[in-house]
Amino acid sequence: MNRREFLKSAVVTGAALSVPPVLGLLSGSLEAAGRPDLCVVRGSSPVASVRAVLDGIGGIGRFVSRGDIVVVKPNIGWDRTPEYAANTNPEVVAAVVGLCIEAGAKKVKVFDHPVSDARRTYRQSGIAEAAAAIGAEVSFTDDRKFREMRIGGNTLKVWPLYTEAVEADKLINIPIAKVHGTSRLTLGMKNLMGVMGGWRGRIHQRIDESLVDLAAFVKPSLVILDAVRILTANGPQGGDLRDVKRLDMVVAGTDQVAVDAFGATLFGLKPADLGYVRIGQQAGLGKMDLEKLSIRKIDL
Amino acid sequence: MLRNIRRASQGIFLLIFLYLFLQTESKGANELGYPVKIFLDADPLLWLTTALATRSPERLLSLALIIIAATALLGRVFCGWACPLGALNDLAARLGHHRQRPLGWFRLKYLILLFILAASVFTLQLAGFVDPLSLTIRSLALSIYPAFSHAVSAVFDAIYVAQIPVLTDASEAVYSLLKKTVLPFRPPQFHQAFFLGALFLGIIGLSLVERRFWCRYLCPLGALLGILSRWALLKRSASEGCDGCGACMASCRGGMGPVAEGGWKVSECVACMACDDVCPQAAVRFGFSRKKARALDLGRRRVVASVAAGIAAVPLVRITPLSKAVAADPALIRPPGALSEADFLRRCAKCGECMKVCLTGGLQPALLEGGFEGLWTPVLVSRIGYCEYRCTLCGQVCPTGAIKKLNPEEKAKVKIGLAMIDPGRCLPYSHGIPCIVCQEVCPTPKKAIWLEEAVVRTQSGKEVAVKKPHVDLELCIGCGICETKCPLLGRPAITVTSLGESRSKDNQLLLG
Repeated sequence: MNRREFLKSAVVTGAALSVPPVLGLLSGSLEAAGRPDLCVVRGSSPVASVRAVLDGIGGIGRFVSRGDIVVVKPNIGWDRTPEYAANTNPEVVAAVVGLCIEAGAKKVKVFDHPVSDARRTYRQSGIAEAAAAIGAEVSFTDDRKFREMRIGGNTLKVWPLYTEAVEADKLINIPIAKVHGTSRLTLGMKNLMGVMGGWRGRIHQRIDESLVDLAAFVKPSLVILDAVRILTANGPQGGDLRDVKRLDMVVAGTDQVAVDAFGATLFGLKPADLGYVRIGQQAGLGKMDLEKLSIRKIDL
Repeated sequence: MLRNIRRASQGIFLLIFLYLFLQTESKGANELGYPVKIFLDADPLLWLTTALATRSPERLLSLALIIIAATALLGRVFCGWACPLGALNDLAARLGHHRQRPLGWFRLKYLILLFILAASVFTLQLAGFVDPLSLTIRSLALSIYPAFSHAVSAVFDAIYVAQIPVLTDASEAVYSLLKKTVLPFRPPQFHQAFFLGALFLGIIGLSLVERRFWCRYLCPLGALLGILSRWALLKRSASEGCDGCGACMASCRGGMGPVAEGGWKVSECVACMACDDVCPQAAVRFGFSRKKARALDLGRRRVVASVAAGIAAVPLVRITPLSKAVAADPALIRPPGALSEADFLRRCAKCGECMKVCLTGGLQPALLEGGFEGLWTPVLVSRIGYCEYRCTLCGQVCPTGAIKKLNPEEKAKVKIGLAMIDPGRCLPYSHGIPCIVCQEVCPTPKKAIWLEEAVVRTQSGKEVAVKKPHVDLELCIGCGICETKCPLLGRPAITVTSLGESRSKDNQLLLG
């Protein structure tokens, strides 16, 4: 059973369960009241920020259940050390992995399908070491495990995706916020390209539509945007520290469009400036109107 | 007894050699952490020919002195006790029958050596083609190991695809263990692999014709050590108990027929000591003696002919229009840190270490891009793989300094070529389709590809906004990642040529 089927069946069984209706309604509304669409934390310690942002969004237990196989998907795309802000911050990755393990995950897998040589990106990013140290199973992608999948989007119809990412019980997407030539910014949805195999440079031809199709299919349980450091020019690879801005911020949400919409504002852009955010909202993937979202902001 | 000690020594050296070969692969750090080129560093033939060809005194202090000293003291012990190709020859000889009566062509290897030395005096470095260590590493790296990896993976892939209960799980566990130990990170694939492999297997296979055929008749390093062994103190002698039974003849690795009077020659003896072990009379003895061995008699005419041929080879390989900057093959892109072409060729040992270690597999053995002299030297074929921006491994493993050892900061300043866009093929230019993968992957801190926002008209008259990529001629370092990742399969819309490479004074585009 993959995650999508699981989710579907969970909805059905959940509805059929004989929870006393009043009680269920009550606790449901209480929970919902405490649950913002987005949580934004500012703090100098990435680990503390991750813990706070998860508390703010409803607790890790909302996303990870005991015995789950969880995939944590950072950006490990480039042969750069953490201070260059080309890959997800290793402390953020480790903190997320740690929380998943605390929540009882059976296994937490960390991988990416990088652009630069994977041996160097895993090592130089500091992610392999940090994630493995806290208990994640860090692996390089295995070519045999990409399988053609019926994505069924308007643009992306069939594409080889990484089976371990699609079949995991939970997928937590942890991108870093950076500028990008084709799509202007690379945030959450763009980070999902890391589960794509094949000759993926081709999707640049209709990048915004493709990313929305991909995001709708992969549907991570949670997106945690790493904005501890952001890359403001010469992205997505960077290489010049003057292009790096330290924001000490972490953003979390379940709405992929909302997270990316908020990400746009970090670069002085409007959500609608990003094609995939606009198209994502039109396609019903999420909401981009930040005014209408409930955003919980926490300063540590 | 001595034979078993020798075998153990051969085995240990072969295992060290193979272990270091396997470690000639990145684990993601900036350095490999193993002295992977130590065998080549200690190679007296490469040391001597490089020193002659480059007239460089900086290489006087070398690990090669250890082997030279050992040979001067003990004779060709390197050949018999340490050389990995010698050990492979001995292993191959066990596979089948070989002739008992030697062909006796032992002079041939000295003539090959003289040919090589004469050429190197006149700056032509040919040793790498036939040096046994270069030959072995190159053949393993470019052919045998890739074939091994391909074969092993094919078997495990088949079991994986079949998804047989229990068996597939077990095989996957074994496979992941192999991946961690003896299999490469990515499947290595090289041009000329078939040819290089056939040549190597052929050389080893000659052991089936005659034991250690290569070592006896062809190996120029063996010849060099043979010459050095003339003064060696370790000598073999046979006492009066010898009744000429010939048992030692059959076991001799040097093929010198040690029975006959004056038959044993220190220059041909690899000190395997088999004759001592097999002698039924126990009449053979290895001991120290200051008696000088007789000089080798190669025949004056043969010597003159070899030297003359070596000298003649120099102009012969160099009368090629490729030596002119304007006619040079634009695909001759050398690894970062490579010396200017003439200096590079004087040093390159064609050992294949740089190609073995190259992260992306882009470094390939040249065919004739650099002329005959450049056969099997490394060229970057960007369509296959690019030069990883922060990787400096090829310079670290180069045994002769043909590729300078650079640190990442130095490397960032080295241009190995220049990318140019073909607007006729480029999607945004010619077809109004967004793309700019080349700009995304460009690794320089300030991108060497800049974008021009433009409006192009499609066939139906619709106006489309696209970004057209342009190469910044100053910033581009020619790493080739744009060409590797260009979505146009086959012929890419952006290609790198050697134009503008830092190492050349002439191959330049820009004024000043």
